[in-house]
Amino acid sequence: MNAFLCRPSRMVIGVLLGLAPGLLSGAEADLTFERDIRPIFKAYCLDCHGAEDELGGQLDLRLRRFLLHGGDSGPAIDVGNSRNSLLLERVTAGEMPPRDVKLPEKYIATIRQWIDGGAVTARPEPEQIGKGVGITPEDRLFWAFQPVQRPVVTGALGDSSVRSAIDALLLVKLRAQNLHFSADTDRLGLLRRASLDLRGLAPTPDEAAQFSEDASPSAYEEMLDRLLASPHYGERWGRHWLDVAGYADSEGVTTADAVRSFAYKYRDYVIRSLNADKPFDQFITEQLAGDELVVPPYEDLSTDQIDKLVATGFLRMAGDGTGSGAPDQNAARNQVIGDTLKIVSSALLGLTVGCAQCHDHRHDPILQADYYRMRAIFEPAYDWKNWRAPGSRLISLYTAADRAKSSELDAEAGKVAAEKAKKQAEYVLAALNKELEKFDESLRDSYRAAYYTPANKRTAQQQQIFLKNPFLRLHAGNLYQYNQKAADDLKTYDQRMSEIRSGKPFEDFLRVLTEVPGKVPVTYLFHRGNASQPKNPIEPGALTITAGDGQPVAIPLNDPALPSTGRRLAYARWLTSGHHPLTTRVLMNRMWMHHLGRGLVDTPSDFGAMGLEPTHPRVLDWLASELLEQEWSWKRMHQMIMTSTVYRQRSQRDPSRNAIDPENRFLWRKPIQRLEAEIVRDRILATSGELNHQMHGPPVSVRADDVGQIVVAAGAAGKRRSVYVQVRRTMPVSMLRQFDMPDIKVNCEKRATSTVAPQSLTLMNSSFILEQAEAFARRLQREAGSDLEPQVRWAWQYAFARQPTERELARGLTFLAGQVAYLEARDAAVTGDQEAKEPSGLPAPLQALTSLCQVLMGSSEFLYSD
Amino acid sequence: MQFGNNDVTRLIPVRASRRELLSRGTFGAGSIALALLLKQDKLLAIPKDVLGPRTFDLKAKVPPVQPRAKSLISLFMHGGPSQVDLLDPKPELTRRDGDSYDGKVVFSFFNRATKRLLGSPWKFRRHGQSGTPVSELLPHVAGIVDDLCVIRSMHTDTNDHGTSIRKLVMGSTRPERPAFGAWLTYGLGSENENLPAYVVLSDPGGHPTLDIRNWSNGWLPSIYQGTVVRSQEPRILNLEPPPQLKGTLQQQNLSLLQDLNRDYVARHPGESDLEARIASYELAARMQTVAKEALDISRETRKTHELYGLDDPASREYGTRCLIARRLVERGVRVVQLFLPSQPWDSHTQMRKKLPEICRKTDKPSAGLVQDLKARGLLDSTLVHWGGEFGRLPVSEGVPAVGGRDHNGEGFSLWLAGGGVRTGEPYGATCDFGHRAMVDKVSHHDFQATLLHLFGLKHEDLTFKHNGREQTLTDGQGCRVVHDIFS
Repeated sequence: MNAFLCRPSRMVIGVLLGLAPGLLSGAEADLTFERDIRPIFKAYCLDCHGAEDELGGQLDLRLRRFLLHGGDSGPAIDVGNSRNSLLLERVTAGEMPPRDVKLPEKYIATIRQWIDGGAVTARPEPEQIGKGVGITPEDRLFWAFQPVQRPVVTGALGDSSVRSAIDALLLVKLRAQNLHFSADTDRLGLLRRASLDLRGLAPTPDEAAQFSEDASPSAYEEMLDRLLASPHYGERWGRHWLDVAGYADSEGVTTADAVRSFAYKYRDYVIRSLNADKPFDQFITEQLAGDELVVPPYEDLSTDQIDKLVATGFLRMAGDGTGSGAPDQNAARNQVIGDTLKIVSSALLGLTVGCAQCHDHRHDPILQADYYRMRAIFEPAYDWKNWRAPGSRLISLYTAADRAKSSELDAEAGKVAAEKAKKQAEYVLAALNKELEKFDESLRDSYRAAYYTPANKRTAQQQQIFLKNPFLRLHAGNLYQYNQKAADDLKTYDQRMSEIRSGKPFEDFLRVLTEVPGKVPVTYLFHRGNASQPKNPIEPGALTITAGDGQPVAIPLNDPALPSTGRRLAYARWLTSGHHPLTTRVLMNRMWMHHLGRGLVDTPSDFGAMGLEPTHPRVLDWLASELLEQEWSWKRMHQMIMTSTVYRQRSQRDPSRNAIDPENRFLWRKPIQRLEAEIVRDRILATSGELNHQMHGPPVSVRADDVGQIVVAAGAAGKRRSVYVQVRRTMPVSMLRQFDMPDIKVNCEKRATSTVAPQSLTLMNSSFILEQAEAFARRLQREAGSDLEPQVRWAWQYAFARQPTERELARGLTFLAGQVAYLEARDAAVTGDQEAKEPSGLPAPLQALTSLCQVLMGSSEFLYSD
Repeated sequence: MQFGNNDVTRLIPVRASRRELLSRGTFGAGSIALALLLKQDKLLAIPKDVLGPRTFDLKAKVPPVQPRAKSLISLFMHGGPSQVDLLDPKPELTRRDGDSYDGKVVFSFFNRATKRLLGSPWKFRRHGQSGTPVSELLPHVAGIVDDLCVIRSMHTDTNDHGTSIRKLVMGSTRPERPAFGAWLTYGLGSENENLPAYVVLSDPGGHPTLDIRNWSNGWLPSIYQGTVVRSQEPRILNLEPPPQLKGTLQQQNLSLLQDLNRDYVARHPGESDLEARIASYELAARMQTVAKEALDISRETRKTHELYGLDDPASREYGTRCLIARRLVERGVRVVQLFLPSQPWDSHTQMRKKLPEICRKTDKPSAGLVQDLKARGLLDSTLVHWGGEFGRLPVSEGVPAVGGRDHNGEGFSLWLAGGGVRTGEPYGATCDFGHRAMVDKVSHHDFQATLLHLFGLKHEDLTFKHNGREQTLTDGQGCRVVHDIFS
C-alpha cells in the first residue's frame, strides 16, 4: 500500500520558512499579515484552522478579519495588545499547536510584534475567499514562480578568467567569498572530461594525439563540435533523459512484470532526437502530444509521423499492470495516471504535484483543483472508465498494401483450412465406417448415432455404448491410430497454410498514447484523492501558480480544429512558450547537474518549498533565458557551458580555497565525478576493444546466471552499449545495479553514488572483468607487438587516454616482469603448492598483461572523471 | 583471531598499534594494509584545517562516554506494526469495541476511514517474571519478555511512511541525510577490518520503503554507508577469486592497483570518495578470506537452526538472516540491519490474515536471536532493536472482518534487548485506546539520543560539518536521553 506522501510534516517547517527569509525579515513596523504571519499559520496552524471545511474551535486563521472574529473561545487577537490576545496566550502556553511540535520562539515573537504594531495587512482583505488555503500574492513571490529574468551581466566581465556570461555571474559570487576560479585543467584532461561527458567514452589514442597536436586557437571548440556530432552523444544524453522519463522495457507493478516489446522505439527516438539536436521545445511537444500532430487514422505512416507517435512513449513509461493481472483494476488504472503525472511534473515542472491529489498542497501553492486540471489534460488519453490495457495501445505499422496482402493470404490459407476440414471429416467417417464394419449391421446405426451425438447430450444407453466400445473415441487428433496415411495427408494441409501465411509482411507495432476520437471523458475532482468519491467536474488547465496572476492558461476542452481534444498539445505549447517559469529552469538545471556534478538547484525535481534553493539563481535564469535565445538548441547550450571557465577548471582542491568552501558550493573548481554504472561498463568494453557500436533496435536480453545474478546476454549483442540493454524492472543487471543504476519504480530524478566493497569484488573477480581484461591484453599484443614497453604505453593510452609517466612505465614493466617470472617459476615447479595446481591456462606473458589490464580498468582513474 | 569470547575488554575499543595490526595473521594482503596505513599517516600529517575535510577511516574509535553497547542489530519492521495487537494491550479498547471514538484522528486513507473502535481480535497474556502482557501473535517473543525492554510511548507524530522513517532513522525529513547506522559507524568505526562495518541483510522480496536511503551515508563520507548482503547464495557476488589468480597473483595485482589509486588520490587530495575507493579494495581483499565463513551457517548446530525457526518454511528465510546477524556481530561488525520487502506490517486490509503471517515470519527468529546472543554472552554488548516507523490507529479501517488499521505516528511500541538496557516493566504508556503516547513519551530524537548514549556517544557532540554548519543526527532539536531504560 503506497504511502500517503504528504501529511504535513512539521519537522520541515523550519526549513520551509527558512527558505523564504524575505517573508520574515521585514523591519518590525513593516510586519504584515500576508507576508509575515500567514506563512507561519500555513505551516503550523491552517491544517485545522482553515484548510478544511471543518474548523478547529470554529477558528479560521486565513484572514486577519477572521482572527478578529475569532472562534468558539472568542476573538483570537486584540489589536495592539498582544498580552490580551488569546491566540498568543495559547501558543505561548504550548497548548497550540496541540501536538509535540511547538511554535518556535522567534515566530511567536513575530506574531507578538505584529499584533502590537497594529495587526496590519498589506492591502484590504478580499470580501470573499474560496475554500482551502488558496494562493496568495506572497506565494507568487517564491523564486521558482517568478518569471525567468535574464540577468544583466556586469561586474566581473573584464576579468581574464571570464569567458562567458556564466563565468561573470559565478565570479561575482566567488569574489564575495575571496575565491576565484581554478586554472584550466591540462589539454588532454579537457579532452577526457568532455569526451566522457558527451559520449560516455574516453577519447581513443588517435583522438588524443590529434587534439594534442592541434595548434589552432579554436581547437577546443572544434573538439567539442566533433564530440557533439558523434552518434554516441545521443546514447549518453539520451540515457540521462531516460532516467527522468522512467524508461523501462517492462510494465512492472505485478510479479509478471510483463515485457514491453516495443518500448525500445521510444528509447531510439530519444537518442535520434538528441543526435539531431532537435529543438527541445519540439522534443517536449512531441513527447507530450506527438499523436495530436498526426492526423488519424494512423495508417501508411511516414518516418516523421512514426517519430511523433513513438515520442508519446514518454507518457507510456509509467508502470502499467492493467494488462498483467493487477488485482484492483480501478486502482491500477489510476496509478498509471498518477505516475504519469509524476513523471511529467518531475521532468518538466520540477514540482511534486502528487501531494495535491488529496488536498491543497501543504507546502507549495498547488491547489487540489490544480492537480485535477492537470489530470484532465491527460484523461482523454487515459480514460480510466474506458481503459485500454497496454496491448490495446499499440499501432500496427501495416500499410494498406500490407494489410491487403495479409488478408489476401489469410483468405487463401482459409480456403486450405476449409479443404482440410472437409477432408478430415471424410477421413474420420471412413475410419468410423471401417470400424463399424466389424459389428453386426443392426448395431451400426445406433453406434453411428451415438458417435455423432455431442457428449453432453448422449442418452444413458449411448454412454453405455461408449463405455463398451473405446474405438468410438475416434477423432481428428487420434486419426493416425486408425489410418496413418490419412493423418499424414492432413498434415500437408497444415504445411500449405503455414507456407501461405509466411508470405505475410512482418507486422511491427508502435507503443503510443492516443485518444479515442469523439470520446471525451469528464474529469472529476476526487474527494481526498479517492476515485470512488468524485466531486465536481474539472476542466483542463495548467497549475494556477505557473501562470501570471489572473492570467489562466487556456487549454481547450475539445479543440474543434483537431480530431483529438488538443489538450496535451496546448499544454505542451504552454510549457514551451518561453513564459513558463519552471520548464526552462528545470531543463537547464539538469544539464548543469550532469556537467558540473551538482544542480544549481540540488533537488532537480523539486523546485518547491521543500526543495533546495538555487545556489546561483542568476546563473540559472541566464541559462534558462539563453535556451530561448538559442532556439532551444540543446547542443548549443552544451557548448555554452563547456566553453566556460567554470567547466574547464582543474578539479584539484587548493588548500586555501578549500578552507573557505570545502563543499565547492561556489564552484571554484570542477568537481570529480564517479562515472555512472552504464558508463563504467561501456568504458570497459571500449577499452578492451570489444564494444559493439551497433545502435538502436530491440533491447539486448538479460538473464539470470547459475548463481542468480542478472547478466547481459552472451555474444556480440552482449557487448553493445548499456543503454541498449533491456531494462526489465524485476531483473536489473547485477553489475550495473552495483554501480548504482537506479531501480525504476516510477522514474529517477537524480542518481545516488556509492562506494562499497562489492563494487571492488566485481572489478576483482567477476567473469565480465576477467574476460574483458584478457581481450584488452590480446588487443595490446596484437597492436603493440610482443615488446613490453609499447604494450604498457598503449595500455595507458587506451585506458586513460594519456601516456604513462616514466614512473608508471617503470612500475608497469616491473609488474609484468615480476608476474611473468612468478608464473614461469610456478609452472616449472615439479611439486608445487596449492597455487601450482591452478594453472591459468594462458601463456605467462599474456596472463601477466591480462592482470595489468584488469588493474587499469579497476583503478580510480578509470572509474572517475576529473 | 578469537571470536565470540566474552572478554570484557572487547567492550572497550582499543586502537591496536599499527605494528600489531600488521602482524595479525588474518590480513590477507598485509603489504597493502601497510601501504594504506602509511598513506593515512601521510595524509594526517597535513594540518587538518588546510584540506578542509579530514580523512576518514573505519578504525575502532574510543567513545567519550563508557559504552554499554558495542554492536547494533536492528530488525526494522517497515509498515508500522500494530501496537494494540502486539505489545500494548488496551482493555478499554476491547470493552468499547464498535463504539464511536471521540478522539481526533488523523487519517491517511480516507476512503475506508471509520471512527469505529476496534478491539484487538487477539488475546494478550502476561508472561515471564515481569508479567508483561504480549499478544498471542508473538508466542516466541512472549517467551523472552524478561530479556526485553518494551517501549510503549514512541511517537513521531507523522502518519506517512517515508516521512516517519526519515524522522526515526535520519532525524529529519530533509533529503540526503545519513541514516542512523551510518552515524554509528562514523562515530565508532569497525571492530573487524575484514568485514564491512555496517551490513544490510536484504529480503528476497526486495528493498523496503525508501529503498537504499534506509542505510545511506547521506552527506557523511561514503565509507559509512551500509553494504548490502544478498538475500540468497551467493550472499556476496564475486567473493571468490578466480582460481588462476588466487593468492600471490591477486596480491600482486592489488598491490599495483592500490599504488595507482594512491597516486590518483595524491593528485586529488582531500577527495573522500577516492579514499573510500582505496578502502573498499582493502576491505574486498580481506572479505575474500573472511566473509564466506562469516556468512556460512551450515556449521551451526541443528539446535541453533531450530532456535531461529529454520525448520519452519514460514520463518526459515528470516531466521537465516537473524543467525547471520549473530555471526556478524560476533565478528565485530558494528551495525547489522535486517529489512523486509516494501512494508509488510502496513495492515490496512485483511489484517486478520496478514498480521499473523508477518508475525509467523519474524517472531521466532527475533526471539531466537535474543536467546542465542544471551547464551553466548553477546547480549550485554549487542543492542537488539525491533520496531517499525509508527503504529496503528485504534479505529477500524473498513469493515473489521476484512479491514485493518490506518497509520498512527502519535503512539507506538517497539522493543530493545541487551546493550545495557534494563528489562522488566514496559517503559511509557499510551492513552486508554493506545492512540497517543501519554506517559514518559519518547520522540524519535529522544530515541536516537538514547541509542547513541548506549554506544557511548553524545548526540550533540557527534557532529559533521555540512552546508556550513555542524550537523547532528538529532538535528539540533531538543531531546532527552531516556536514562530510565538503562540497566
